[in-house]
Amino acid sequence: MMAQTQEASSHARRLKAAVGAALLAGLLITALVSQEPLRAYLILLTGALPEIGWSAEQGWQLHRMVRFGTVIEDAVTLTFLGLAVALPFRARQFSLGADGQMFLAALAAAATSLFWLRTGAPAWMLLPAAACAAIMTGFAWGLLPGLLKLRCGANEMVTSLMLNLIAVQFYRLAVADWMADPSAGYQVTPLLPEPAVFSTLLEHTNVTTLLFAVPLAVAAAALLLKRTTLGYEIRVTGSAPAFALQAGLPVGRAMVLSIAAGGAFAALAGLHISNGLLKRLPVDLNPGLGYDGLLVALLARNEPRAIPWAALFYAYLRTGAQAMERGTDVSRETVLVIQALIILFVVADRLLPARWTGSRT
Amino acid sequence: MMKTISDTIPPRLELRAVSKRYANGTLASDDVSLSVRRGDIHALVGENGAGKSTVMKMLYGLEQPSAGTILLDGAPLALRAPADAIAAGIGLVPQHLQLVPSFTVAQNVVLGGEPARFGILDRRAAIEKVGELSRRFGLEVDPSAPVAGLSLGERQRVEILKTLYRGAGIILLDEPTAVLTPSEAQALFAALRSLTGQGVTVLLITHKLSEVLEVSDRFTVLRAGRVTGQADAAAVTAAQLTEMIVGRPLAPLQVARSIARGRAALVSARGIGVAGPDGAARLQDICFDIAAGEILGIAAVEGNGQGLLADVLAGLRPSDRGGATVDGQAVTGVGVRAARAAGVGAIPEDRLHNGVAADMSIADNAIAGAYHRRPLSRFGWLNPAAAQAMASRLIERFGVAARGPYQIIGSLSGGNMQKVVMGREIDGAPRFMIASQPTRGVDLGAAQALRRSLVELRDGGAAVLLISSDLDEVLELSDRIAVLVQGRIVGHFNGGADAAAIGARMTGGHQPGTSATLDAPFTGEAAA
Repeated sequence: MMAQTQEASSHARRLKAAVGAALLAGLLITALVSQEPLRAYLILLTGALPEIGWSAEQGWQLHRMVRFGTVIEDAVTLTFLGLAVALPFRARQFSLGADGQMFLAALAAAATSLFWLRTGAPAWMLLPAAACAAIMTGFAWGLLPGLLKLRCGANEMVTSLMLNLIAVQFYRLAVADWMADPSAGYQVTPLLPEPAVFSTLLEHTNVTTLLFAVPLAVAAAALLLKRTTLGYEIRVTGSAPAFALQAGLPVGRAMVLSIAAGGAFAALAGLHISNGLLKRLPVDLNPGLGYDGLLVALLARNEPRAIPWAALFYAYLRTGAQAMERGTDVSRETVLVIQALIILFVVADRLLPARWTGSRT
Repeated sequence: MMKTISDTIPPRLELRAVSKRYANGTLASDDVSLSVRRGDIHALVGENGAGKSTVMKMLYGLEQPSAGTILLDGAPLALRAPADAIAAGIGLVPQHLQLVPSFTVAQNVVLGGEPARFGILDRRAAIEKVGELSRRFGLEVDPSAPVAGLSLGERQRVEILKTLYRGAGIILLDEPTAVLTPSEAQALFAALRSLTGQGVTVLLITHKLSEVLEVSDRFTVLRAGRVTGQADAAAVTAAQLTEMIVGRPLAPLQVARSIARGRAALVSARGIGVAGPDGAARLQDICFDIAAGEILGIAAVEGNGQGLLADVLAGLRPSDRGGATVDGQAVTGVGVRAARAAGVGAIPEDRLHNGVAADMSIADNAIAGAYHRRPLSRFGWLNPAAAQAMASRLIERFGVAARGPYQIIGSLSGGNMQKVVMGREIDGAPRFMIASQPTRGVDLGAAQALRRSLVELRDGGAAVLLISSDLDEVLELSDRIAVLVQGRIVGHFNGGADAAAIGARMTGGHQPGTSATLDAPFTGEAAA
């Protein structure tokens, strides 16, 4: 226990040092390209926060809630995606399939939402049904890379990336050809019916009741890893594969199920996008969010309880960067560089010289 | 061997109050003083982590002392890099030999100091020089033979020749017998004797008592970085030496032999054969029996198929032919979990690779064999209280020095880690225990505790297969001994057999039809 707390506190020290160094480096770059570097940098750091304003007519008021809403919305999506990546990583399975799992799950949720009421089924069951459809789809799609690895020896990195392509193209086909709303001016599904949409929590934002699913999902992932036999098999397989085999653990099953369980969490992200954020699915939904989930999992070192905080940090940074891009003379490219630098520093905090952190190792 | 060196002649090599503190604060050498006389074989003894390697690294310029001086013939010596050591006539024969397999012996020896004519390697001169060296020092090896075809003992001679070629008057040998057969080790020591007869000084780093007592002239004992003893080898007994190494007296383990002749076999292996990827047999027609309450020792030099045999018997990989049963139930080719359910327990030979998950807690490691059964799990849920109780029980029963069940197992010493591994397997009440190298890299005190646990397991009625490359250990614990060479059983001995006879069999050729069943004759008896 002592060793763990010692390590944890040294890790916290390093993280602080890394964030500090990263912010400094970001400031330096801003100073190189901006006429007013301090103001620009301040916007990067605080642009994501709501503004508290006071006026005689309306009293105290919060402004920029849309922007702050974006932070929360992104953090929710990224938490689910981070969990989706972290679970396979804990079994040392480098599955990059979160994107495909999320796209197909979003499609399943939207399709269920659009067709449910036509069958005459009760409306109150619509959301649970959509969630089930999404989770089962994500889980099933997540089974594939693991099974391919187990049965055919195919590398899960390659297969999960290829499966992403298939999933995204299938999504586009389904939205454009089978589910498109002819009355919309672009290729998009019809709006999901009212009972299929999670209700809004914060005005002017898309922060929905799905926010409450975040702590539940985190707890579920943490419990799965820590308190179930499957989670034990996943952890041992990831920590020492040869030992897992020697001890007779079902290593193959742990590998397959770790990726599939990740798919179930990616499915929640898909559900959040279709039935929470957008309330309909456009054909040009951008792939790549899965890789942001990868970053979040890396930042959190695959520890489920740290993932929402890493996701919040990442979402905050991203929204601030957008604010900086819009509100200052700093170009989008520079903003991306600063953002990437900050993440690089945090992820690479092990590379810091020991004396920066006061740690010996 | 008597030495008559007057006090006025300074020692060949001397360390004066040398300390080494690493950057992370570890004090690896603490005020170490030792002196080595010219022409001596001087043993540097101690357990793992006692600081032997640090002293050796400082002598070879790989590490620099934080304090103190190193003197050569009474003159202070600064060793900033191995090149300085070589220039000063100090040569190192590393534990893991570093030769180019595709080169000939002569090419390997002259590498880095090639005799050249017009900038081109003079092969004939190289072969001549190496041949001459090899004759002069009694290190027989064919200079024009490629290294790839040599035995480990021969390769070691090449390494020694290499240091001599570079003009070494002092040779450091790091655990040189770890990879040798007993007869190869004897040949090595004979060669070292002939070296010292010609004025070469040898510093032998070892943890084997016999090498100190029988081979060395003087010795220095290190414990926890400090010198705890220094004497002439002839002046001490094994018990005194053990006490210097361990820090307390260690009562010898008295193992009563169990005679299983005529009893029923609990474990019985018949005709086990495994082919390698190239189709060559790596295990061939392995037949043995083990009765309940019996230890069958496998005496074999590293790499003769014993690891593969352990894997097959533990269910980790199937055999191509034959199989083994425990109490009539097949345990080979059924997978690890089924083998375990049939009563197999296994201590793997490389504990950090597949004996533990090093970055997980003692509790997580302790439950690996039984986590899927009650009371550790119910309906797929783990019971942390039961896991903690189990880890505490192992810590208590096997005397593991740990802070508690949640300590990360990788932070334990090798001996304590191995106690958890063995404890986990014994806790599963196996009827057939496969113990591979159970005390490798473990200090003397822990090794004795581990051996005692194995004997207790035997006395409790289990059949034990002991696989060890430490022949002394096999002799000490086994009720019967099978000798394994190149994947075949070539000898079958009674527990009290003569080490020399077994050693001869370990290097001898194939004896067709040898098996280690309960009614098989012992080697040497067959003819009588």
